[in-house]
Amino acid sequence: MSDVPNRGEAPAPPVPVTAETETLERPETSTLFVSPLSLRRRADWFIKLRWGVVVGSLLVTVFSWPVTWTPLDLVPIMIALGFLGLLNLAYFARNRRVPPTDLLTETRLVKVQMVGDLILLTVLLNLTGGIENPFHLIYFIHVIIASLLFKGREIYQIAALAIVLFTAEVAGEVFGVLPHHHLTYALDHHHETAYILMTLGVFWLVLLSSAYIGASFMRHNRAIKDELVARQNELIARDKAKTDFFRFVVHEIKNPAITAQSAIETVLLIAADELSDTARDLLERSVRRTSQTIEIVKDLADLTRGIAPSRDAPVRLDLNEFFAALMDDFAEQAAERSIETAARFPAVPVMLRVDEQAIEKIFVNLYSNALRYNREGGKVTVRLFGGPNGVSFSVRDRGIGIRRELQQRIFDEFYRTPEAKAVATIGTGLGLPIVKRLVEQLGGRLTVASRPGEGAIFTVSGLRDA
Amino acid sequence: MSMPTILVIDDDVDLVEVIRVTLEGAGYEVIDAQNGTRGLALARDERPDLILLDVMMDTIDEGLRVAHALRDAPETSRLPILMMSAIGERTGFRFDVERDGAFLPVEAFLEKPIHPLRLLDLVNRHLGEGCA
Repeated sequence: MSDVPNRGEAPAPPVPVTAETETLERPETSTLFVSPLSLRRRADWFIKLRWGVVVGSLLVTVFSWPVTWTPLDLVPIMIALGFLGLLNLAYFARNRRVPPTDLLTETRLVKVQMVGDLILLTVLLNLTGGIENPFHLIYFIHVIIASLLFKGREIYQIAALAIVLFTAEVAGEVFGVLPHHHLTYALDHHHETAYILMTLGVFWLVLLSSAYIGASFMRHNRAIKDELVARQNELIARDKAKTDFFRFVVHEIKNPAITAQSAIETVLLIAADELSDTARDLLERSVRRTSQTIEIVKDLADLTRGIAPSRDAPVRLDLNEFFAALMDDFAEQAAERSIETAARFPAVPVMLRVDEQAIEKIFVNLYSNALRYNREGGKVTVRLFGGPNGVSFSVRDRGIGIRRELQQRIFDEFYRTPEAKAVATIGTGLGLPIVKRLVEQLGGRLTVASRPGEGAIFTVSGLRDA
Repeated sequence: MSMPTILVIDDDVDLVEVIRVTLEGAGYEVIDAQNGTRGLALARDERPDLILLDVMMDTIDEGLRVAHALRDAPETSRLPILMMSAIGERTGFRFDVERDGAFLPVEAFLEKPIHPLRLLDLVNRHLGEGCA
C-alpha cells in the first residue's frame, strides 16, 4: 500500500525544517519577553508596585505634613494620588478581564501606563516643592524600568519624556506659569538660575547616561534571548521533522510485515498437509515474530502519536459502562486461563469528558497486562472511583508481580522484567511507557504497587474533565 | 453454477496475491485492481459478488471514495464491501461500521493482518447474506 498521511497516524513524509512551528514569539519583536504572558506577569508586578507607591505616598504625605510640609495643600496631592490609584485599578481590572493576546498590545499598554506615571509624578512634584523635592530621583527608576521592558529607541523616548516633563515643571515655576509649593525645610532655590541650570544639567546628563547604560546592557541580554529563542524554534522544528520522519518510517515498516505475515499464514493454511513438522514449526515461529514486529511498530506509532497532541475532541463517557464493555472484550481470554474478573464500580455512573482513544488505550493496556501476567485461575479486580479529586481507577492482578527495584524501570521504553519475559516471550516493552505518557497527557498520575509473586496494582488517579 | 467472483482492490500486489491464493483455494474467482479508478471500472464491468477494498492507496482516503462511488452507482450499490486497512484502532484511525455507517458505507471493516481463515469466514458469511 502506498499509504499517505492521514489524520490518525500520518505516515507524513519527512518535512523540511521550517520556522513556523509552535508558539514562541519571533525574535525580531524584541522585548526581553518571549510571550505576551511573560510580559503580562511583569505588568502585574508593576501594578503591585504602583499600589505600594500610592499607599507609601499617602502615608508619607499624611504623617510628614504636620512636621515638614505645612505649607502644602493636601487636597490636590490627595486628588493626584487618588487618580493614580483609580488608574491602577483600571489597569488591574483590564488585566483580569482580558487575557494576554499579543506582545505588541501588551507592550503598548505598559508604555501608556509608564507615560501616565511620569505625568502624575511631575504633577505630584509640582505640588510638593518641584526642584526642591529630592523625590525627582524617581524619574531614574522609570528609566531603569523602561530599559528592562523596551528596546533602545523606546528607552530614550521615556528618558526624553522625563527630561521634558521635569524641565517644563521647573521652568514653569521659574517663569511663574506654575505655582511653587515651598517645602519648609528645603532651601528655596526655585528662583536661583545657576542652581536650577546646574541641577537640570546634571539631571539630564545622568538620566541620559542611565538610558544609554540600560539600553546597552539590555541590548546584550536581548541578543542572548533572541538567539536562545531562535535556537529553540529551530530545535522544535527539527524535533517535529524527526517525529514526522519516524512516523513515516514506522508506517512503511508495518505494511511489508503485515503482508509477510499474511503470506506465511496462508502457506500454513493451504499447505498444511504437505509441510513437515519442522517446516510448520519454523513457519509458526515466523508468524509469531512478524506478529511481534507488527505489535512493536504499532506501539511505536502509538508512542509518536502520544508525543503529538491528540486531534480527537474529548467525549463525555460513562466509565462504568465503558470499562465494562472493554472488559467484556477480554472475557474469552480470561476464561481460557480460568481467571476470575471483578468490576467494583460505584452504583452511580462515573462520568468523564476525555479523549476516548487515550482512555481506552490506557485501560486496555493495563487490563490485558493484568490478564497476561496473572497466574492460572487468578483474579483481576478493577475498581473505579469518582470524587472531588477527579476520577481514578485501579487494575489489580494476582500474577507474577514486580520487584521493588524494577517498579520504575517498567515505564522505560522496551524494558521488560525477566519475570515478564519468562511468562510471555512476545512483548514489546512499550505498553506501560505509552500508558504513562497518555495518563500524564490527560493530567493524571499512574502509580504501581506490587509484591513479587503476589501480583500488582496499577492505579490511575486525578483524571479530570478535559 | 460458477463460483462467486471477488474483486480485490489494493495497491499491495503481494498482499493481493496472498488473498488470491486463499480465496481461489476455497474456489472463488478473484480479480484485482491496484487503484480505485481501475477498481471502480472492474466493479462496473465485471459485476463481482463481493469487494475487498483497501483504504489508503494512491491517496489517503481512496478506499473511502471508492466505497461511496460504489454505493452511489445503481449497478454496484448493493455489492457487499469488506474494507481492510492497516490503520486500525491501534493507530488512531478507528472505524466502526455501526457507528460510522454513513461515513463508512461498507459491510465490515477489517484490520490487517487478517488471518486467512477469518478472511474466508467473513467472505463466506457476507456472500451467504448477499444470496439470502
